[in-house]
Amino acid sequence: MSDDGGLALLLLGPAGGAGLYWMLYRYYRNTDKSHAFERETVVDAKPVTGAERDRKVDEIKGTRESRIQGDNLRDYRKRVQRIRGDSS
Amino acid sequence: MSNTTPPPVPPTGPGSPRDVPPVPGSYPIDPATLPDPIRDELLAPDPVAIDTAAAELKDGANRCPKCGATDIRQRPGTDLLICLYCRNEWHGQRVEEEFGFGEGLDELTGTVIASGARDIDTDVSSLMTYKCTGCGAEVTVNTESTMTARCHWCRHVFGVNEQVANGAVPDAVLPFHIKKDDAVARIRQFVDKRRLFALKEFKEQFTPENVVGVYLPYMIVDGKASADVAGRGEIKTREYTQGSGDKKKTYYDADIYEVERHVDFTVDDLPLESSTERGNLDTGVNTNNIINTILPFDTKNAVKWNASYLSGYTSEKRDTDVEQLRPRLEDQLLSIARCQVEESVNRFDRGVRWEQERLDVHGTRWVAMYLPVWLYSYQQGGKGGMLHYIAVNGRTGETMGSVPVQQWKLLLAAITVGTFLEGIALWMLGSST
Repeated sequence: MSDDGGLALLLLGPAGGAGLYWMLYRYYRNTDKSHAFERETVVDAKPVTGAERDRKVDEIKGTRESRIQGDNLRDYRKRVQRIRGDSS
Repeated sequence: MSNTTPPPVPPTGPGSPRDVPPVPGSYPIDPATLPDPIRDELLAPDPVAIDTAAAELKDGANRCPKCGATDIRQRPGTDLLICLYCRNEWHGQRVEEEFGFGEGLDELTGTVIASGARDIDTDVSSLMTYKCTGCGAEVTVNTESTMTARCHWCRHVFGVNEQVANGAVPDAVLPFHIKKDDAVARIRQFVDKRRLFALKEFKEQFTPENVVGVYLPYMIVDGKASADVAGRGEIKTREYTQGSGDKKKTYYDADIYEVERHVDFTVDDLPLESSTERGNLDTGVNTNNIINTILPFDTKNAVKWNASYLSGYTSEKRDTDVEQLRPRLEDQLLSIARCQVEESVNRFDRGVRWEQERLDVHGTRWVAMYLPVWLYSYQQGGKGGMLHYIAVNGRTGETMGSVPVQQWKLLLAAITVGTFLEGIALWMLGSST
């Protein structure tokens, strides 16, 4: 067995314990809950536009990351740079 | 909007309500793999919430408070409603039709503020003095916590019905549907699922009968907006492994795209806390996120303000104006927009990193409303102790709560499970060499 695999296996105990602690803590205290307004509000949206303007700008070769760096697709509430317009 | 103070910056970071809440019933660890007592707690049923989101809400099935029948008509020529089953009559105009709050979302422009949601005049005291209509005595009502009072002299009951500039009188009220017994049962069921690691004092002092019905102040906002987001997306073109045996590594090739999306949308009845204290959702110092979680309410069924609905319940007063709530509204609209565009970028299978966003709010409509909440509270003593709430939505029965934990018990369980896993790991390592 390689050193990497051995180390990962040794971490199983602490990681499992910490994971269980964190999960049960949240289950009792519900600190991660809030109003899921993205799902629970009545939203009437027109069809999303802009797909036709998708433009390939670059490519990457041989990365070991399985996801894009800084993926925030599902972090709806993480604000990014806000562009201010005239009417807002 | 010249003298308004900006609202406090909302808390961020892991565990704060800035995180999108998990889907109900999902756990990071599969409960089936956990020891029996823990698994039983996790898998016990939750208090059932009534689904008010669908058709029932749209057609406005307001029930007769006496018999529960829905066969209700307006009595011609009066403001009374009449139950055709038991002939019971009572007041209850739904503001939805009365003021047309459900219509014209598409044509919203500017900022429409209902009379009960107007800016608060700080000079107006929350103590209101009235002349009793029964005997002429003066009666004081503290609008911070109650909206009705009984005259000490003639026992005549009256309520604060005219809209005063201190923010205490909203446009509409959503009366309680869930009865106290039901709320108590739901709280008990909720806590029964969380006893193993609960604080000993909490369990000893647990008396759900002490739950109180509170009307909390909210702004119900309709809005029309459009949003633009821009960022980068990646599509995987190749996946391959190099090396062999233990040195095997996976590599990916990908195309990078510039992605832009635009969406126009309207939101119907988004509730925002209009009390500064309740709007502070910092889970490090309070458990207000619990009350935030039991939103939304079937606000379509709200009725025009009448203080009689509040007799027997307490209430909290609104203390924020529309302009102070606007940043939070824009923040939530942006979140909704980001959620809406998610499906349109499905083809970027390596994910999307949004880098810029822009929101244009075309129109908003603000209605002040009192919403019914059953609140059970427990003040945890000691250092870092906070007020823990268990809240039941007074309409749908959705229940959420914060149960203080017995830290040593929880740590012991975590360490025990950790040690057990470590034992397996060591055994596997030992047997492989």
